[in-house]
Amino acid sequence: MRAPDPDPRTRRVAAAWAVALVCAAAAYGLADVAHRWVPRASPLEELSYYPSGDHLRAAAFGHDEAAADLAWLRAVQYYGEHRTTDNRFERMPHVFDILTTLSPRFLSPHVFGAFAMAQEGGDFEGAERLMRKGIDANPTSGRLAFEMGFLYYVRPGGRDLRHAAEYFEQAARQTDAPPASARFAAFSRQHAGDLRVAYELWSAVERETPNRYMREIAERNLEEIRAALEQGRRELAVKRLTTPRVVIGGGP
Amino acid sequence: MQVTTRPAEVWPATGSKAAGPSPMDANLAICVRGMAKHYRSPWTLRITRGLEELDLDVERGQVLGLLGPNGAGKTTTLKLLTGLLKPSCGNAWLLGVPIAEPRSRKPLGFLPEQPYFYDYLTGLEYLELAGGLSGLPGIEAHERARHWLGRVGLGDRPRLLLRKYSKGMLQRLGLAAALVHGPEILILDEPMSGLDPYGRRDVRELILEQHARGVTVLFSSHILPDVESVADRVAILHRGRLVRAVEPRDLAAGVARRVIIRCEGAPILEIPPGWRGRVARRPGGSDSEFEVSSGVEVNSVLDWLVRSGVKIRAVTPLGTGLEEIFLSATAGNAESNDGDAPRSEGEPPSVGEAQPLGHPTLPPGRGGPERGIPPARLERGRRVA
Amino acid sequence: MIAALVARNTFREATRDRVIAGVIGAGLVLLLGTQILSPLAMGEGKRLTVDLGLSGISLLGILVTLLVGTSLVAKEIERRTIYNLLSRPIARPHYLLGKWIGMIAALWVVTGGLGLALWALLLARGFAPNALSLLQAVYLAGLELALVAALAVMFSALSTPVLSALYTLGAFLIGQWSDDLRAYADQLPGALAPVLHATSNLVPNLPLFNMRTLAANGETTTLLHLGLASAYALVYCACVLSLAAAAFESRDFK
Repeated sequence: MRAPDPDPRTRRVAAAWAVALVCAAAAYGLADVAHRWVPRASPLEELSYYPSGDHLRAAAFGHDEAAADLAWLRAVQYYGEHRTTDNRFERMPHVFDILTTLSPRFLSPHVFGAFAMAQEGGDFEGAERLMRKGIDANPTSGRLAFEMGFLYYVRPGGRDLRHAAEYFEQAARQTDAPPASARFAAFSRQHAGDLRVAYELWSAVERETPNRYMREIAERNLEEIRAALEQGRRELAVKRLTTPRVVIGGGP
Repeated sequence: MQVTTRPAEVWPATGSKAAGPSPMDANLAICVRGMAKHYRSPWTLRITRGLEELDLDVERGQVLGLLGPNGAGKTTTLKLLTGLLKPSCGNAWLLGVPIAEPRSRKPLGFLPEQPYFYDYLTGLEYLELAGGLSGLPGIEAHERARHWLGRVGLGDRPRLLLRKYSKGMLQRLGLAAALVHGPEILILDEPMSGLDPYGRRDVRELILEQHARGVTVLFSSHILPDVESVADRVAILHRGRLVRAVEPRDLAAGVARRVIIRCEGAPILEIPPGWRGRVARRPGGSDSEFEVSSGVEVNSVLDWLVRSGVKIRAVTPLGTGLEEIFLSATAGNAESNDGDAPRSEGEPPSVGEAQPLGHPTLPPGRGGPERGIPPARLERGRRVA
Repeated sequence: MIAALVARNTFREATRDRVIAGVIGAGLVLLLGTQILSPLAMGEGKRLTVDLGLSGISLLGILVTLLVGTSLVAKEIERRTIYNLLSRPIARPHYLLGKWIGMIAALWVVTGGLGLALWALLLARGFAPNALSLLQAVYLAGLELALVAALAVMFSALSTPVLSALYTLGAFLIGQWSDDLRAYADQLPGALAPVLHATSNLVPNLPLFNMRTLAANGETTTLLHLGLASAYALVYCACVLSLAAAAFESRDFK
C-alpha cells in the first residue's frame, strides 16, 4: 500500500517563486526611484572625454559606424533636452566634430549639427567649418552642397547670397541634387545682384524643368531681369530680402 | 534478515496496491512504492519510460544487488533515491524520510558511476567538503577526511590536486567520499566499473566490511560473480521493470548445475537407460560432448565414461545459476516483447548471442562452487518469510 | 552553513583557475598602460587614469563573470561533479547561493585588488587621489558585478556554458541601456510608452552602479545613491537567484 505522498519539492518551488515575485516588485520600485532621484552623468559627458574622433575610433575597435550611430542618438537627445530647457549647447561643436570624424560619410550629423550650431548655438563659423569638413569628405554630395548653400542663405543677421549661390550651383551639378538647386541658385544670384549670371540660370531652369509652374516662375524672373538690364534699373530685379533670425530646416 | 521484492508480473501492473511494510518501519532502510520515471521529449512529446512502477523494500543491514542490461533502469533507480532525478509518480523513503526532503540523504553515501571531481581541489579538501556537506562539523570532517584518505590508499599525497589523479585513484576517492561521514545506507552505481582485479577485490572487501558494520548497501553492476559474492539479494531489472528477485545463497544450495563433458574422439556408446533424457550426446566436431543435466551425479557419468575407455578432455559447468536466471529473465522479456518464440528457462544462449557485459567465461575444469537452482524449481518472485 | 561550504569550494576553484590570475595580470598591465596615454591627455592625466582604470576594472570583472561565472553550474552538470554535491543533504537553493557567494568573493578580490593598485598608481604619480571617491566607485562596480554574477548563475543553472555566456552578455548590454530605454519611453506616444517604461524598470539598472564620471572628476556621490544601489542590488540578486532556485529545483540530472 502506498503511503501518503507529500510533495516538499512543489512547496519549495512555490516558495522560490513567491520570493522572486516579491523581490521583483521591490526591485521594480527601487529602479523607478533610482531613475528619478539619482543624478546621472550627462549623456554626452563620456564623449567629451575623448580629445578627438580619432581617439574614439581607436576605442571603437573597428565599430566606427556603430559608435557613430550611438553617438548620433545621444547627440539628438542632448539637443532636444537643451532645446526645451536652457538653450545652451556648449558641448555640441566638440561632439559633432567627433561624430563626423568617426563617420565622415554620415551626412545628417553635418547638416543637423551645422544648423543647430548656427541657429541655436550662435556659432556660424563653427557651423561653416563643420559643413565644409563634410563637403571635403563628400565632394560629390549634392545634398551637402545644397545644405551648405542654404546655411549661407539663412545666415542669422544677414544672408550671404553669393556664397549661397555658389553652393546651390555646385549642388545643381551633382547627380543627387535636390530638384530646387538650380532654382535656388538662380534666385540667389539674382538677389545678390549678379543679373547676367542669374539670367542664364533662369534660362536653364525654364528649359529643363518639367514643371509648368516652375517654367512660369522662370519666365517671370527672366522678364524682370530683361527689364532691369534694358532700363538700367537694378531694383526691378534685385529685391531686398528679410534678415533671417532662427530657422530650423525647410526652404525659403 | 528479510528482504522483500515484488516483481512487476506478480503485482498489478498499474502500480502496487498490495499491502506491505510501512515506510516508517524501523527495520526498513529503503522503501519504494510505485516509483516510476518517464521522460517526455520536448520536440516529439513522445514518452520514454526509464522506470516502471517499482516496489522495493530493503531491510537494514542488507546488501541488495541490482542487475540488468544497459538501459534497464538501474542507474535511474539509484538516481531517484539520491535525489538527482524527480520521480514521475510514486515515492520512496530512506530510513523513513521521504526522498523529496534533503534530510533523507543525511545517512546516505553515494558513489556515482564514473565519478568526476574538481580539478583544483586536493583529495583532502574534497573529502572535507564531502564530510561538511553531509553534516560533519569542521574539525571532525578534517579528521575523518584524513582517515579515509589513508584508508583508500591515497594518504601519502593529501595535497595532490585531483586533476592529477588516475582513474583508479578517483574511484577510490569517490568511495572515500561516500563513506567519510559514516553513512547508514550506501548506494553504489557500478562501483567496480573500470577497475583492475585488485581494485575490484578492494571494493568487494569494502562492501563486505560495511555490511559487517550493519550498513545497508544497494549497488548496481553488470558483473554477475561480483554480485553473487557480496549480495544477500539480487533484483533483476529489464526495460525499466523489476522482473526477478533471487537470493544467491539459495542458488548456491541445491542440485548441481548442468555440466558438459568433452571426450576425445567419437566413441560409440549407449547411454544407460536410467540416464536417458538427462545425459545427452551433443555434436562436438572431432570430439564428443556429453551434456549432463542437474539431477544426475557428474562423477557417476565420469566413471562410466572412463570404464568405457573414453579419454576425458574437459569438464565444464554450464554457467552459474544466477547467469541462467539473468539471461532467462532479460531474454524472455525481450523476446515476448518482440513477439518471438520464448526461450525456456535455463536454456543457454545460442552461439553468437550477446552476453551480459563483464561476465567472465569460466575456463574448463575450473568451475566455481556448484550451486544453482534447477530452472524447473525456480520460483518467480516469491516472498521470503 | 552549507552555502558557506559551497562558496568556499567555489572561491577556491575560481581563484586557483588561471583565468583569474590572467585577468589580474591584464588589469595591472592596463593600469600601467594608462600612464603611456596620460601625457597625450593635455593635463588630464589623472582623469584619464581614473576613468580608464575604473572602466578597465569593471570590464575585466565582467570578463571574469562571463568566462568563469557562466560555467559555474553548467560545467558541474556537464562534468557530473554536481552528483557528488546534490546527492548529499543539501537543498538546491543553498547550492546556488553558495555558488554565487563564492563567485562574487572571487570577483571582489579582483576588483578590490585592482582598485587598490589604481589608488597606489595615482599616489605614485602624485595625482593625489580622492580615496573615498575611488572606494565608492569600486564598491559600486562590485555591486554591479554581483548582480551580473547572479544572472550568470541563473543562466548557468538552466543552460549550457556557451549559451549562458551569451545570455549573460545580452543582459549586461541591455542593462547598460536601461537609462536610454527610460528616456525613449518618455518620448513615445500611446501604449508603447508604459510598456517601455516598465521594461526599463525590469531590466537590470546597471547605470545606477556607474560612478566613473564622478570619480574621474574626483567627486563623491551621495549616501542616497549608495543606499539605493545597495538595496537594489540586494533585491535584484535575490529575485534572480530565487528564479534560478525555482527552475533548478525541478531539474533532472540524467
